Amino acid sequence: MTGGTEAGQASSPLPPGRRLDLHLQLLDHQVVDQDGNLLCKIDDLELDLDADGLPVVSALLVGPLALGPRLGGRLGRWWAAVPARLSPRANPEPVRILLSEVIDYGSAVVVGRPERHRPLEFARTLAPLEDWLVRHVIGRIPGNRHESE
Amino acid sequence: MRRLLGVALGVLTAIGGFVDIGDLVANAVVGARFGLSLAWATLAGMIGICVFAEMSGRVAAVTGRATFDLVRERLGPRAGLANLVASTLVTFLTFIAEIGGVALTVQLATGVSHLLVVPLVALAAWLVMWRVRFSVMENVAGLLGLALLVFAVALWRAGPDWGDLGRQVWQPHVPADQGTGTYLYYAVALFGAAMTPYEVFFFSSGGVEEKWTGRDIATARVNVFLGFPLGGLLSLCIAGCAAVVLLPRAIDVTTLAQVGLPVAVTVGAIGLAVALVGFGAATFGAALETGLSCGYSIAQYFGWSWGKLVRPRQAARFHTVVLLASIAAPLVLLTGVDPIVVTEYSLIFSAVALPLTYFPILVIANDSDYMGTKVNGRLANLLGTVILVLLIVVALAAIPLMLLTGAGR
Repeated sequence: MTGGTEAGQASSPLPPGRRLDLHLQLLDHQVVDQDGNLLCKIDDLELDLDADGLPVVSALLVGPLALGPRLGGRLGRWWAAVPARLSPRANPEPVRILLSEVIDYGSAVVVGRPERHRPLEFARTLAPLEDWLVRHVIGRIPGNRHESE
Repeated sequence: MRRLLGVALGVLTAIGGFVDIGDLVANAVVGARFGLSLAWATLAGMIGICVFAEMSGRVAAVTGRATFDLVRERLGPRAGLANLVASTLVTFLTFIAEIGGVALTVQLATGVSHLLVVPLVALAAWLVMWRVRFSVMENVAGLLGLALLVFAVALWRAGPDWGDLGRQVWQPHVPADQGTGTYLYYAVALFGAAMTPYEVFFFSSGGVEEKWTGRDIATARVNVFLGFPLGGLLSLCIAGCAAVVLLPRAIDVTTLAQVGLPVAVTVGAIGLAVALVGFGAATFGAALETGLSCGYSIAQYFGWSWGKLVRPRQAARFHTVVLLASIAAPLVLLTGVDPIVVTEYSLIFSAVALPLTYFPILVIANDSDYMGTKVNGRLANLLGTVILVLLIVVALAAIPLMLLTGAGR
């Protein structure tokens, strides 16, 4: 990271002259929304080639389908294969967060929440397991809507 | 004034919260067999937990990230996952031991078999984790845990030869009737008891959830540097009671009743009742901390929403982990396994996992990209490195010593 860009300082994504070490400062970092709600980890990155043929990060990849290959070995294959099998879609893919949705990079990566999602329900759209557990397990236990008091 | 009260409360709960089933059992067992000749291990462990709890609290305050979140960042997904599995298994084993400890306390107080009580204890623990606010939970358990101070009274009432106890502490040697192997084995267990990994998971997660900032670091430091040493002193009182009352009578500690026996002998029935309140509060409080820590570490590795400030339906995966742990722990105990034996093994496996928890904390506390001006100073690094080397030795020695001594028998 070059000087003058301390963590936490609000800035547009990647101002000119700011370098990010993808491995140290992006991969495996926590993703939060603008209110600080925890969303997910950056499980992998999607790279694309720009007009000059240079690789650029185009999206953050999230979920077991992205993490599995990085775990490697038999465990990694199973990690991705089981959720893929359970997915209702024919060609399941990792959840993608476009780089244009990223607001800030600090100790966590801040992603803008789309208008259509309520503050704390955004995480459910990123993770089928969370959604399933809300509907079938946690949502059925009395008191699930109460904050601890 | 309010702030002073807050600090005082924090220190008091840190004292009560320092002791859990592992500290109770390890210190009483060791006191009854080795006197205070292993006090150095408790003291070294106490210094270790102070140094690393302060570090993890400072990291949480500056970065807003809890321990396991950063473990994965630093170790990568593969090594991070291996660390997660090992740490969570140890924390879960401790959770089982704490639930068993609460049930044994109820058995001592009422005479009802602990097996009947175990499911109720697990249910109560889960309900608190589901509904009750962090601060309430911590303060009630911590303050009631202060009832364990009755061990200090008991030690004083027993009227020991203080000079002789002092010599055992400052000139430690292996008692003539014990082997060096068992002596070292119990030193490892005491390290595991004083530095149990869940303590920093819980401490740093609490800091993140309460949104500590740089200003809270001072408060956290007072809590840690006053509360934990006093908690360590309390541990020594438990060992001292066993050393003065049980050792001369050649009574080995194998049950929770024997841990409380010195209090019953020197202070009487009222004293024992107070000790039981302390046992119950300390183990129940630790059950909550370990149960939540299982959820914290897994949720933080995967980036899930976690914690007690969001509604359960907004942290469904976290609460599912806590729920599953609360169901599985009593099932393990219902097999009839002795909770005291579970405790002893949890201490040894904690000792094995110690470097996994504390090494990443030391690395992150030195990263100026994250910590800015709040990086480790020379003293923190010197102490941290010395302790980490000691922990690696302890971790490597734990399993061989366990096999060599037949788990200290």
